[in-house]
Amino acid sequence: MELIRLERAVIGYRTPLLPPIDLAVRAGSTLGVLGPNGAGKTALLKSMLGLLPLLGGRRMLPLGRPPRVGYVPQRDRLDMSWPLSVLDVVLMGRAPRVGPVRRYTARDRKAACDALSEIGVGDLASRPLYALSGGQHQKVLVARALAADPELLVLDEPTSAMDPAAERVLLDLVARLKSAHNLSVVLVTHQLTAIPGFATDVALVDRERGLFEVGPAEQMLDPQKLGRLYGREVRVAKVGDTVAIVIGEGMPN
Amino acid sequence: MSDFADFWAGRDLWREPLIAGVLAGGILGYIGVFVVLKRMVFVSAALSEISGVGVAFAFWLGAVLGIDPHRHGTVPLLLEPTWFSLVFACLAAALFSTRPGHRKLAPETIVGLGYIISSALVLAILNSPRIVQEAHAVGDILFGNAVTVPRRQIEALAIAALGAVAAHALFFKELLFVSYDPETAMVQGVGVIRYELLLNLATAMVISVATRAVGALPVFAFSVIPAAAALMLTDRMRVTIALAVVFGVVSAAVGYYVSWVAQLPTGASMVVVASAFLLPGLVKILPRTSV
Repeated sequence: MELIRLERAVIGYRTPLLPPIDLAVRAGSTLGVLGPNGAGKTALLKSMLGLLPLLGGRRMLPLGRPPRVGYVPQRDRLDMSWPLSVLDVVLMGRAPRVGPVRRYTARDRKAACDALSEIGVGDLASRPLYALSGGQHQKVLVARALAADPELLVLDEPTSAMDPAAERVLLDLVARLKSAHNLSVVLVTHQLTAIPGFATDVALVDRERGLFEVGPAEQMLDPQKLGRLYGREVRVAKVGDTVAIVIGEGMPN
Repeated sequence: MSDFADFWAGRDLWREPLIAGVLAGGILGYIGVFVVLKRMVFVSAALSEISGVGVAFAFWLGAVLGIDPHRHGTVPLLLEPTWFSLVFACLAAALFSTRPGHRKLAPETIVGLGYIISSALVLAILNSPRIVQEAHAVGDILFGNAVTVPRRQIEALAIAALGAVAAHALFFKELLFVSYDPETAMVQGVGVIRYELLLNLATAMVISVATRAVGALPVFAFSVIPAAAALMLTDRMRVTIALAVVFGVVSAAVGYYVSWVAQLPTGASMVVVASAFLLPGLVKILPRTSV
């Protein structure tokens, strides 16, 4: 089963950013959208979600409706100075389900608190937003996405300001949520380290080179493909059960 | 006779301007919380100025059509400056709600352009030979006149305030969501453009009518200072809103009283009193501020 399918889709704001693309978000899959900064990843994401009209081709919704989406934005785009508690923020995830005019009910509050507890930050519910650390804020945003009761969890550069250990903790958390809630996941990132061991499918995107390729992770995490994407030599090595990716100093082969 | 006794004795003179000031202070204090948090304080200044263009345009149109705006009963309802002020402000609010989709034309650039162009237009219209007689009336709107307020303007302000409060009461969670995180709201299917338009129209309606009633300076001040003062004191949304409304109401009432007893300009007095509410917050946050 697919949740979203793009067929010969031409994406861009006024002019095409990439060649026509075919892409599907399958139920239960984790799609990693990988590319350097300014590669057109956000435009691709917006097109997938129906927020940016296609310049050509088609966007299909095999469910007959858009999937319910839980969205984790880039943390640094949000203003921490708003006088909101953590619970206020997580409740926003319930807003589309509650609908206009109606107020949040005790059930919505319970769902928000449950989401916080599941993420492991249940004790933060009444804490003001400004008092959170960066890692706590990120978890609160994941909890908000989870409170939306999503079928598709979308994360936009969630690890861009994280050290490698924190990145792995977050990705493990998302993998656990995916398994517990039978979610599909789309992860947009420019960080190579986020993809191995996490994504089942990978899309490589770079508008500068007019590049778009998508396929199973094991095929796409290929030194030559990644080398073309980043314009550098890339080495991929297996270390135990994990895949390590190293960007070299030379040009790609 | 004491200052207060003198003030009380003149209540027939100040009752209506005071009601207008208090209404404006309260509703703008509330709306100001969104204005300040969305970092769009210049929007209220621009909307005030654009309302002024509407009023000036109404006078200019009346002059062109040969209608004397000072002759009671001769001004058709549709040529009422309030309508023009409202329509101009609402059109500007709709424009400010659009997303230009071009990184060279940022939203604040559009607001700045609106402010600059409307300021120039008001000056141009005010200096038009056709409306020299009405220039002082338009000037009142631009530079503030909370001394005399016709009952009709109080009614218009009350209706605008009720409309804004109703919109916020019905759609508070959506307005909060799209204001705080429009990107996520859009992804989750909340109509961001629709609710931003509603928020901006409610703001424009209140600013337009309040500008006509109490003047541009206090309107700009009430839409920024009470909210800024409240935000420095608390980290809870509901407490922020309650404090901002109280600060706005008290600033208007005390400011009017001070202007009466000290014979100072009314709008300026209100702004000075409102500024005093910034002090507790500054005392609170200054020790935490580092270079």
